[in-house]
Amino acid sequence: MTAAKPILLAEDNPRDAELALAAMEAEHISEKVVLCHDGAEVLDYLYCRGQFKSRLKGNPAVVFLDLKMPKVNGLEVLRTIKTDANLRPIPVVMLTSSREERDLAESYALGANAYVVKPVEFHKFLSAVKELGTFWGVINEPPPENCRSTH
Amino acid sequence: MWFQRLTIEHRVLAGFSLVFVGILIVSAVSYHNMNILLMNRGLDGRSQDLIQLLNNVDVAMSEAEDTHRRYLVTGEASYLEAYKRVVKQKPTFTAYLGDLIRESPEQQQRVALLDRMMDRQLNAESKAIAQFQEGGFRAIKKIAFEGAGKRELGVIHQIIADMDVHERQAVGRRVVESAAGTKTTIVLLGIGALLQLVLLAWVYYLIRHDITERRRVAGELQRRGELLESANKELEAFSYSVSHDLRAPLRHIDGYAALLRKAVEHSLNDKAARYLQTISDSAKQMGQLIDDLLVFSRMGRQEMLHTTVNLDQLIKNILVDLRLDLQGREISWTIAVLPEVQGDPAMLRQVFMNLIANAVKFTSTRPIATIEIGVEHPSFTEIVLFIRDNGVGFDMQYAPKLFGVFQRLHRADEFEGTGIGLANVRRIVHRHGGRTWAESVPDKGATFYVLLPMRGRDS
Repeated sequence: MTAAKPILLAEDNPRDAELALAAMEAEHISEKVVLCHDGAEVLDYLYCRGQFKSRLKGNPAVVFLDLKMPKVNGLEVLRTIKTDANLRPIPVVMLTSSREERDLAESYALGANAYVVKPVEFHKFLSAVKELGTFWGVINEPPPENCRSTH
Repeated sequence: MWFQRLTIEHRVLAGFSLVFVGILIVSAVSYHNMNILLMNRGLDGRSQDLIQLLNNVDVAMSEAEDTHRRYLVTGEASYLEAYKRVVKQKPTFTAYLGDLIRESPEQQQRVALLDRMMDRQLNAESKAIAQFQEGGFRAIKKIAFEGAGKRELGVIHQIIADMDVHERQAVGRRVVESAAGTKTTIVLLGIGALLQLVLLAWVYYLIRHDITERRRVAGELQRRGELLESANKELEAFSYSVSHDLRAPLRHIDGYAALLRKAVEHSLNDKAARYLQTISDSAKQMGQLIDDLLVFSRMGRQEMLHTTVNLDQLIKNILVDLRLDLQGREISWTIAVLPEVQGDPAMLRQVFMNLIANAVKFTSTRPIATIEIGVEHPSFTEIVLFIRDNGVGFDMQYAPKLFGVFQRLHRADEFEGTGIGLANVRRIVHRHGGRTWAESVPDKGATFYVLLPMRGRDS
């Protein structure tokens, strides 16, 4: 069941996205990744609207969320997810360059499940993304889907 | 001008002191003049009494002369009675007179004379009465017509007239004196009031001027505070975007270098591999510099705690945390008993962490390193802590650069580090209201000093 659930990666920077996908490729989970380029796309995906109107219903196994994104930023997406009864169970992992205390505090206050600072060194970034993908996409048992998503 | 050098407090104090002295002088002179007035009034009352008494004496003595003569002529007993009343009154007159002229020697002389004359008149008359009673009218016929004390009575009139004039003159003098005294009092009060008014106006001006100045300075301070706050906010936004935006390209450089290495792995020669490694290393180094800079900038903005920090415990914890760096090293530690200080525990920990880590780092070339941590000149107001090592030290001519951001006195291949540590140390110590400095002899070792005030404060 879990294998079917996609991993939602919100990343506006194509290079970061490519590096993350390269990291997950090594663990053969990259094919489960759905890439969103900004916060609005993430919300479109979660609410099955816009370009995701015809996608298969169901919540993703996990959302990897960058903080700084165009249109709707990570914290706003996080707030929307955690205030929607249907979306609240989805694990959200903040994946960001910011180590600022207020970002950390605000993310956890809004209900983030984890907060990971992207390491500058690629091998550390690689192992971080690998571990995150494996843990949240494979090891972790996602919440049961007892409610159908709205819209 | 000397006055310009006085502080506002001294000027106001001087102004009020002058007003006070002015009030004292005016009060003293007024009191003195008032006293004279009161005394003169008392003397005037006495003079009036004396003039009245003199008049009574005059009348009584005339009556004595008159009645005794009538008695001598008529032998009527009622005249003798009237005469004897005057004789009986005489000591009372003398006593009253003596009482009223105590202050004036001239009048005293006159009263003495008057007394003698009165005695002589009454004696002469009494003698005549006695002769009359012994020998009848014939014996004193001549006296009766002339009057026994006629001559003395004349003298008495004269003395009394003199005394009357004298007393009236004295009253006149006192009136003039009182008027003059009152006038000077009024003038003095006027001048004093005017001077005090001027002085008070001056003091008022000083205080007002000072308040205006203070208000202006306070306004200026507030304006600068607001500017500083907005500058701080800007800085915060800046460091936020540095932490976020500057890291991403570095991650990409390192990441793509790694991907490239992987893609061309089989055809990569040593030189190309080293180039790729250098690209990665440089990216990592820049990441470290950015991190250090952010910590340094945060150190200046972060809210400071003010608690009691046990330095003994702090140093012990630091040595536990450094145990990995201490592995395989021979270090002889001398750590004095350290006091408690006021400050932010996390920040002070960073200070001593940096200084001790430096001491460990720069003694790494020594077979046996010695590191000493101690206290110098402890006092009630401040304390000087030092960390001394026998490491490579530095040339004192570079001492001013030592605590600058990213300043290094050693090549990167000698000792690693970005050069932010001592900048953090200085910033933290400054925020605690202290100072830090270092002394060294190249190749002999270095001593780093940290002066902390015993009562902490935020800068």
